[in-house]
Amino acid sequence: MAGKTGSMPATYSPSPATRKKKRISIANGADWVRPDNRSFYQCRPAYLRTSAVSTAAGSAYAEFGNTKVIVSVFGPRESKKAMMYSDTGRLNCNVSYTTFSTSARGQGSDNKELSSMLHKALEGAIVLESFPKTTVDVFALVLESGGSDLPVIISCASLALADAGILLYDLVASVSVSCLGKNLVIDPVSEEESYQDGSLMITCMPSRNEVTQLTVTGEWSTPKIHEAMELCLGACSKLGEVMRSCLKDVVTDSKE
Amino acid sequence: MAAANGSSDLSSEMEVDAFRRLFPLRYHEQHLLKSVRPDARKLGSARDTTLALGAVASADGSALAKIGSTTMLAAIKLEVMTPTVECPDEGSIAIEFHMPPICSPLVRPGRPAEAASVISKQLSDTILNSGMIDLKELCLVGGKAAWMAYLDIYCLDADGALFDAALLSAVAAFSHLNIPVVSLNEDGRIVLVSEDKVGLKLEKEPVNTEKRKLKLNSPPFSLTCILHKNYILADPTAEEESIMETVVAVVLDSSYQLVSLYKPGGPVLAHTSVIQDCVALARRRVKELQNVLNEAISDMEVD
Repeated sequence: MAGKTGSMPATYSPSPATRKKKRISIANGADWVRPDNRSFYQCRPAYLRTSAVSTAAGSAYAEFGNTKVIVSVFGPRESKKAMMYSDTGRLNCNVSYTTFSTSARGQGSDNKELSSMLHKALEGAIVLESFPKTTVDVFALVLESGGSDLPVIISCASLALADAGILLYDLVASVSVSCLGKNLVIDPVSEEESYQDGSLMITCMPSRNEVTQLTVTGEWSTPKIHEAMELCLGACSKLGEVMRSCLKDVVTDSKE
Repeated sequence: MAAANGSSDLSSEMEVDAFRRLFPLRYHEQHLLKSVRPDARKLGSARDTTLALGAVASADGSALAKIGSTTMLAAIKLEVMTPTVECPDEGSIAIEFHMPPICSPLVRPGRPAEAASVISKQLSDTILNSGMIDLKELCLVGGKAAWMAYLDIYCLDADGALFDAALLSAVAAFSHLNIPVVSLNEDGRIVLVSEDKVGLKLEKEPVNTEKRKLKLNSPPFSLTCILHKNYILADPTAEEESIMETVVAVVLDSSYQLVSLYKPGGPVLAHTSVIQDCVALARRRVKELQNVLNEAISDMEVD
């Protein structure tokens, strides 16, 4: 609401945001501990649940530590009028943040970059031929951002798609690794992401052993990349099992 | 209308679900004749209501309210502002209601829902006019600094009675609000006193050691009713709201005083007796909601 902010007084957050986040010396790394006391190769505790939103065709809620995400799936439904005719189905993704998701109050607007990343991560896993001429909408809302947001959104979205009964080649699981000096840490929190040297994210279909998305940013050496990829793929297959059991639980619960 | 006449013959053979979708009004009216609703509720009773405080760790106060499937997440973030010249010893509250595309198939990204801005305004009016919060309590340094409370309410699942759920989550978020300890630094800016230093001797005294919680004066609660013919349906679902259009929203405070009454037109014209019935239903509902809120607060204290 642009008109409204004009009449509002300027405000500032009392937390000292201007202070540079101090980068802990991690060159030697042996006695360094992660902010949440995890070991380097340990993921955050995850909570997954399907059917979080009653009005959606399918939905899921994911909580990885402080990162909390809801994804709703609508459709397959009529494509927008302006769309050209298409034999295969379309996928439409949108990611937005709440105003209170980050420590400094944000605008809560759509995140175009994450939306397009989510789209690219999912489209390879969906059997688009199964819903010709129509669109499936995948909408994500980040309730709280605690680091590794995109991997959590992607995993949660694939769970929501499965809940909606959209045909998939496989579930999509996603995990990221941060490189801090000599160390690799899996499933980084916001603080670790803020002083990382490099980041690697893998999105894959665990049971088919296929990668739908791989992003590498920052400073990496080839052996480090190999190590990080092995780590991510291992974690993805474990996450895939957790997601699978989450979907199975729903079915067995409803039978009882 | 041939289709409508033919439907009486059809309805016996048709499956219930198909009948519900093709003739929603007739489907609901047949229930109303038996004084029951499709979800087995009585006409005057509301859905199960739950409340959880402190759902968002990154906010200063937050609450998750559920009425049936309708889900609202409210969170408050405090920032510092310079008070206006007219009210130098008062803080301020900015309330916004959001309907993100996840909450309903009717909302699309980039096009904010019409209902969202209506409810946003209604909430601001209700909370600011009810006198629940004394804005003077949000003052930090007279004339220099005061709190601006940004209250954002997100609808996570829209299944009717959005205003009731939003107001409940807003009131609960204020009751959960923890005001951080702050001090005034040399530049005249308010800065946070980190938790571990509170006990220690500081070069700068904190300006608000005692005012850590807001006092809520008789918080308001609301009940939305639908009027259809002679029936009054309390706490409607989204389906009921889409079929029967006349809505009355009654807001009462904790001592059952009327805060606001909202009837935005609609095809049914209400008699005063009907309005009185709505207010009576709202009175009963306020009692329920007060219990829900008190339970949520005591649950929080145990943890």
